[in-house]
Amino acid sequence: MTDSKVDRKTFLTTAAIASAGVATGFPTILRSSASAKDVIKIGLDYEYTGVYAAYAQSETRGALMAMDAWNARGGVMGGTRVTTVSEDNDNNPGIAVEKARKLVNVDKCAALMGSINSSVSLAVSGAANAMNILYIDSGGHADAVTGADCKYSTFRTCHSTWMETHATGFSLGKKFGKKWYLITPDYAFGHALDAGYRDVAKKIGATIVGDDLTPLGTTDFSPYLTKVLGAKPDLLLVLVQGDDFVNCLKQAHEFGLVGKIPIGGPQVELEAVWALPEAARVGFWGVEWYYKGANVLGTNNKLATNFVNEYRKKYHTPPTARSAFGYITMDRLLWGINQAKSTNAAKIAHALAGTKFQTIFEGTTYYRAADHQLMWPMWLGGIRAKGTPQDKYDVFDIVDRQEPDAIEQSVAEKAKVCKMVWP
Amino acid sequence: MAHIAPEIFNGLILGAFYAVVAIGLSLIMNLTGTINMAHGSFMTLAGYLAFALVGAGTNYWYALAIAPLMAVAVGILMERTMIRPLYRRDPVYSLLLTFGISLIAEEAFRLIWGPNGVPFSPPKGLGGGISLGFTVFPVYRLFIAGALVVIILALVIFLQHTRYGLRLRAAVQDREMISALGTNTQLLYMVNFGLGILIAGIAGVLAAGMLGLNPQSGNSLLMPAFVTVIVGGMGSLFGAIVGGLLIGLAISLTTLYIPAASEIAMYVIMAVVLLVRPRGLFGEEGIFG
Amino acid sequence: MKPIGIWGWVATAILFVLLLLAPQLAPRLHLALTICTDVLLFAIAAMAVNLLLGYTGVLPFGNAAFFGLGAYGAGLSIQNFHVGFITSLVIGTLAGVVGAVLIGPFLLRRRGIYFALLMIAFGQVFYFIAYRFTNITGGEDGMNFTRPPLEGLGIHLQDAGFYYAILLIFTLVVVGFWLLVRSPFGRTLVAIKQNEVRARYLGLNTDRFIFVALMISAAIEGLAGACYGLSIMFAYPLLLDWHQSGDIVLMTILGGAGTIFGPLVGAIIYVIGEDILSTALPWWQIPLGALFVACVLGFPKGLLGTALDLLPGRKNRIEPGHDLDFAAPIIADRETTR
Repeated sequence: MTDSKVDRKTFLTTAAIASAGVATGFPTILRSSASAKDVIKIGLDYEYTGVYAAYAQSETRGALMAMDAWNARGGVMGGTRVTTVSEDNDNNPGIAVEKARKLVNVDKCAALMGSINSSVSLAVSGAANAMNILYIDSGGHADAVTGADCKYSTFRTCHSTWMETHATGFSLGKKFGKKWYLITPDYAFGHALDAGYRDVAKKIGATIVGDDLTPLGTTDFSPYLTKVLGAKPDLLLVLVQGDDFVNCLKQAHEFGLVGKIPIGGPQVELEAVWALPEAARVGFWGVEWYYKGANVLGTNNKLATNFVNEYRKKYHTPPTARSAFGYITMDRLLWGINQAKSTNAAKIAHALAGTKFQTIFEGTTYYRAADHQLMWPMWLGGIRAKGTPQDKYDVFDIVDRQEPDAIEQSVAEKAKVCKMVWP
Repeated sequence: MAHIAPEIFNGLILGAFYAVVAIGLSLIMNLTGTINMAHGSFMTLAGYLAFALVGAGTNYWYALAIAPLMAVAVGILMERTMIRPLYRRDPVYSLLLTFGISLIAEEAFRLIWGPNGVPFSPPKGLGGGISLGFTVFPVYRLFIAGALVVIILALVIFLQHTRYGLRLRAAVQDREMISALGTNTQLLYMVNFGLGILIAGIAGVLAAGMLGLNPQSGNSLLMPAFVTVIVGGMGSLFGAIVGGLLIGLAISLTTLYIPAASEIAMYVIMAVVLLVRPRGLFGEEGIFG
Repeated sequence: MKPIGIWGWVATAILFVLLLLAPQLAPRLHLALTICTDVLLFAIAAMAVNLLLGYTGVLPFGNAAFFGLGAYGAGLSIQNFHVGFITSLVIGTLAGVVGAVLIGPFLLRRRGIYFALLMIAFGQVFYFIAYRFTNITGGEDGMNFTRPPLEGLGIHLQDAGFYYAILLIFTLVVVGFWLLVRSPFGRTLVAIKQNEVRARYLGLNTDRFIFVALMISAAIEGLAGACYGLSIMFAYPLLLDWHQSGDIVLMTILGGAGTIFGPLVGAIIYVIGEDILSTALPWWQIPLGALFVACVLGFPKGLLGTALDLLPGRKNRIEPGHDLDFAAPIIADRETTR
């Protein structure tokens, strides 16, 4: 990670300055400095410590940029300023729930956003619902958030797992062929990815010649890789995540698999790619948003180019997909509050659901009324080992785009699992 | 069938890691009754130190030698200042202390080297693979296998055929007696602890190139090492080796054939061993005999 | 053990008045009431550890397995069978006991540090089960459920209502615990803790006593876990992990193992400290770890244990929590294992 040394304190300080001295952290000390009447507080419940810290940081930066933009325009609801209170949930659902309650009950936040870890998203979604507080899951991908566990008070900005597998499945199948081999982590997220790819395979007539379930904490992928070499598929789908993903690709390189068999998968975080050793910078992966390319940003999208330029100026790295999640989430949250002229969760939810808008990518989008999932496209990116000579961060070559309606389950499908209860 | 041979070999390498970590753990555990929950942290520490040394331009081989020694220095400092006062107390205290230290270490690694893994690759000479006819096998793994065998042999010779090793083993049997006979037991504790950390450190640097290096990576070897100690028999060098290899093999073979059982496999072995031989497979043969 | 004396009763009365007033006091201290609920929950969990560590002399470093089983037991019964509030707590409690019945026979084969080691390892099995059996437990995503209404009354306990329900449970556990450690059974446990070999020579089947203590401890732990599940309305695998065990053991030792209210003192410091620190510091795991170190090196008897020592006339009393040292644990293990 190029900027991982910027810890939470530093960026909170930056944020505090950025938002004109309004307190964003240390609520125990500064809580009483602004009464609830003249500001609206948004609670950020994020994994600021632990393996997801870098992603939480990117999302927070994006969110603060959106907040600053609203404040620069005079705030919401005819002149009310917006501020944030952020809490570290330690990547632990139990702590995240306590922090959500603290943000609402003690810090008097009007709405919540946050989380990288799906488990945390699900837990906070339930807790926010019990408090009748609007929550936008900015970055937890589990289908259940806008599926079986959907709530009237919960919206989700990032793509669902289903969208990730379908977008990449269609694109990769088109590009490389229809004989697939899967290396799947043997836990809930892996199973969801696996089911998604099997559904795509059925739809496009691909065959799955191998599907290995790797146990929790697998660091050694050699047994699977030797099997892959023997099976000679058109495409190896690597579904393992995080540090396991890095190990898997490094070992694929060691075993001489890279270059012989195309590699791809549902999604890879830009923050993670920057930290990858060159040996592991291979393959074609789902990209949820990228800071370059007409295919993503459009040709004349002022909002997007401004966002990218200002972000780079402020933080000295390009915005990532995580930054975009944070930006879109905060922007729409404030739009919803402004539109509803209220912080009542049901009123904001009614304002948000189904309303079309344009934001920092090409095309119009909306949070679907049936499940509160943001319906937006996904892209396929090939990784460049070294970035470009002009821009070392520019490691993705965006090669394909899939439209949302093709990659997410239909409203009719969703209606079978998602039963929203409104107050 | 072509998968089996490399998989058995991989399982043995993994098992040798467990064995080496388990020997370090049980050296410390047997002499002083300390369950060193920070053992994994020392592996990670040595890995990161080697990563930093290589990043600063040091040759990999020097890093492999120096980083574990630096970890030993930290370990001995910890033993002298914090663990030593606890030797006469219930072992729960040293367990809690080292658990606290592992929490501090993990966060410190995160602050210094970032929350995600860092790329630490073996040197060019150890990269690539060797064709074994039916499969390609990475050179680095062969190197690790050789290195672990050397470590284990060196330990066997040290503990069984040197004067110092003899004293260590005697002290485990009867601390008062060895002290009365004129051996400086405090020095013995310190050397013993340092030795445990040294082998953890070397294993940590070796593992970093194969299994990855992140703030939690050492801890992922800790639980299998605990199980190895129980299965092999506390205090048995031979038991730790056999136990480690057995568990490594069991994990890699179940991974290949019954992936659903691979996490539970070692616990099943542990349960069976406890039912049949509560003291572990080789637990009654004396201390590191 | 001697009766606690008049000042002990006064202190206990003050403590309970403060606990009763917590819903009024918490906002003034900028604390969420749910944090106070958590304090009580974890105090219950730490009492379960205390029974084994402070009064029986075995270290249950793996107790989170029972804690997590309690949370999953409550959650699964609510999700699948729509049971009420009290029933879900009972099922959570029983889930803890079942876990102890399953691993108890293995644990009893060893003593001393090896007991702790075995419990860490066997406890981890439950973690893997929760993680793997996605269809039932939701795997690493965890499982959402709602807090069910009280049986018969149909009342949904929230905020202060829920706090008082947990306070009632806490009080019942404290009273039960107090009676237990004063009973002949409790005294036998302390005798085993002080010298198991001697207890065995006296003809006691110490295995059976420790097994029963383990069952009771697991029941309390399961109850605490079920309460926690109902508090956060969520269950997830980390609840079963050995790090969770470490936290609960720390609370016990921090407050003072072998004292009735030590676990509560430990839970207050730990839970509220974590809440404040994690808001203020991005690297709050370091002070948390330092707390372990400081507690072990500075207050081995725990804060309450140390404070009680300072009271006049109590210096020379033999309290079960005050003699955690059994000098040669390994030797003890050799002699008790058959």
